[in-house]
Formats: sequence, structure tokens, C-alpha cells
Amino acid sequence: MDILGSTRQAFALLLSGDAELWTIIWISLRVSLVALAAATPPAVVLGYALAQKRFPGRRILVVLIQGLLSFPTVVVGLILYILLTRQGPLGSWHLLFTQGAMIMGQAVIAFPVLTAFALAAVQGADPRAHETAVSLGASPLRATLTTLLEVRFAVVAGIFNGFGRVISEVGCAMMVGGNIAGVTRNIPTAIALETSKGDFAQGIALGVVLMLFALGISIALGLLQGRGGLK
Amino acid sequence: MSALLSFRHLRKSFGERELLDAGPFAIGEGEAYVITGDNGSGKTTLLRILAGLEEGEIAGFEFHGLPLDHGSLPDAVRHDIVYVHQHPYLFHTTIMHNIGYGLAARGIHGTERRRLAEEAIAWAGVDHLRAIYPPKLSGGEKQRVALARAKVLRPRLFLLDEPTANLDGEARGQAIALIRQLVQDQSSLLIACHDRELIELPGMRRFHLEGGKLTQV
Repeated sequence: MDILGSTRQAFALLLSGDAELWTIIWISLRVSLVALAAATPPAVVLGYALAQKRFPGRRILVVLIQGLLSFPTVVVGLILYILLTRQGPLGSWHLLFTQGAMIMGQAVIAFPVLTAFALAAVQGADPRAHETAVSLGASPLRATLTTLLEVRFAVVAGIFNGFGRVISEVGCAMMVGGNIAGVTRNIPTAIALETSKGDFAQGIALGVVLMLFALGISIALGLLQGRGGLK
Repeated sequence: MSALLSFRHLRKSFGERELLDAGPFAIGEGEAYVITGDNGSGKTTLLRILAGLEEGEIAGFEFHGLPLDHGSLPDAVRHDIVYVHQHPYLFHTTIMHNIGYGLAARGIHGTERRRLAEEAIAWAGVDHLRAIYPPKLSGGEKQRVALARAKVLRPRLFLLDEPTANLDGEARGQAIALIRQLVQDQSSLLIACHDRELIELPGMRRFHLEGGKLTQV
């Protein structure tokens, strides 16, 4: 394998605006961003409730969420596959091997990460933030939003972490997406496929894009940290 | 004297330990009260219960003639009482937004909110702090912003928890000057404190909390 030659070819592919390559990148971004947009609001609400409210089953839910953090993505894919297959309980939705199924899978994978970060953030929030909001006349909803805003750095860090987890996962995307070119082929499934075919150039090019995403996340977090009042 | 806030009996226990067993007590409209007592005597807890931030057993609890259940205050009453922490918490935003927060919660927006916030900024003398990020302010500066944030709401009752604790020199003097002005303006105040200068402000009614009981000094 000529690593240097493949790397040169990879950058040439990226810079030439290769349609197939950029379609893969676009599908990856679209699926992951939609999945995060869908999972974030309920995850943050659950994280907040777990941190602030006392209700039966709370401890079990916390343990479950923490356990799901390390749940193998391929198992999420397997469960979703069983649900979405034509004979499955959700078979009538005709979602298997579509971006919709990938979005569902990635939302499920991101959910515990987002919830755990929101839970930790709200638990670590200064209790005076909520009390001050209430004392200044805020409604329960406004006081909740204010508390979340005060810990926004940690909540947003959770979103970035969730993004990092879903953009790079291959197991679920492969199982419920099916790696169909131009439809459900995303960066990780394309890397797996191209490498198995011996086409390292595209694999490296996509790997570079994934690493650039990781770097972008790190830079964005650093910027947020600077504005979040953290030292 | 018409009572703004009153209770017949207030109790608060932590497990076996009974912290408060006080009453009857009444705060008159336009009157200023100071509660002294040792650390741990329950001054903060008493203020927090009256602010609706902490639960307690209160019998005959009334605000402006309105009977109240203990532990929860209706919106109308919550908007009339403002509690200021010993170490005030400022939101991670501008001073202007901090001072305008309660106004926004009351549905006051736009130029009216800005005008009232500007007035409060001028009153507290914190105009020069506008560009400073609140977490970077000193204790005294935070206290003045918090007093401005409370005053701008024109509450019927201020509950101030140790407003000069941990302040010294000029910062303490500035906080006392603002509180003196609130007293002179005939605001209703209930202050938990040890500060001799505050305790001896003209017109201040003094209570002492010991063994859970409130007694007039």
C-alpha cells in the first residue's frame, strides 16, 4: 500500500469537489445534525428533571442512562433493524435502509450522551441561580431556562460530544442504512467499504474530513469556553 | 401600623433538631426590621421560608391581608417579595440584563425596561461596571448590582440576607448607603445581619433570634 500516494490522491479528490465524496459528506452531516436536533430537546428536559426533581424510578433512570453511554452502536442498529424490518412492529413505516432509519438510530445513540451531560451540568449548577430567578419573579419555565442558560457551556459540550459519537459511528448506520450509494452511505460506512475494496484514497479523504470535524468541534468548544465564563 | 406580612407561628425542623419555633410576628408596611442572632440561629432559613424558597410550617401566614399556604407563594405575592442572597448570584450576562431580568419576568420589555434598569444602575452607582463580566465583579460590586436588581422591581418587601457580610471598607459603606436610602424611602425591609451600623440605622426595628424564638430588642 502506497500511503503517500493514496494521501495525495485523497486531497486531490477533496479539492476537486468530487461529487460522490461530497455527497457522502453531506449525507453524514445531514443525518447527524437532524438526529441531534431531534434528540437534544427531550434529552435536556430529561437531564434537567433527573437533576432537579425527585420522583419514583429516578435512580433507575440515572443508572440506565449511564449504562446506555457505553451501549454498542451495532446493538442499537440490531434492535432498530428488528423493529423496522418488514415483519417488525414498525415495519409499516418503511424506514429500513433510509436516512430516516439512520436518523432514528443516531438520535437513540446520542440521547444518553446528551442526557448525561445535561444531568451533570444542572446538578453542578449553583443552586442560587434558580433561586435568584424564582425570587426575581420568574415563572417555573423561565427559571428552568435561566438555569440551563447558566450551564450552557456544559450542555453545549454534551451536544458536541453527541455529535462526535454519531458522526463517527459505523455499526448502526451500516445496519439500518444499508450503505446505499447516494442515499445512506455516510463517512464511516464509506470508509469501511472503500478500505475493504482496497481504495485507500477515498478512505483517507473521508478520514481527513472526520478529523477536521473533530478539530472543528474542539475549536468551537474552546471558543464557547472562552465565552462561558469558565477559566 | 397595617401588617404587610404576618404569621402566627412558624416552625422549621431538620430531623430531630428544631431550628425555628417563632411567632407571632408581623412586618408593617414601610417599616424596616433587622434580625440579629448567632450563626446557625436560623436567620437565613427564616428569610428563605418567607421568600417561598424553603418549606416551613407556618400558621396564620398572611401577606397584605391575603392568607397563604406555607411553602408556596402565589405569583402576585412572589412579585411583591424579593430575596437577596448573602452572596448574591449574578447571571452570566451583562449587568443591564441582570438588572432587567425581573422586569422581563413581569412582562416589561423594550424602552421601559431599559429606562428602569438605567435608573437602577444610576441609583446603585454601578454605571462604570457595565463592561465588566459579572462573575469578575468584587463582592461589594455584586451586592450593589443585586440591590439595584431588587429595587428596580419596586417590591413591597425586601428580604436581605447579611447584605454587608464579608464586605469591608468602602464596599461595606456603599452597601449600607444603599440600604439606608431604601429605609428612608420607606421601603419594607427585613434584614438578617450582624452589622452594627445597619442595626443602628434610624427607624430600624430590632429582633433577636435565639433558640428558635424571635424576640423584640
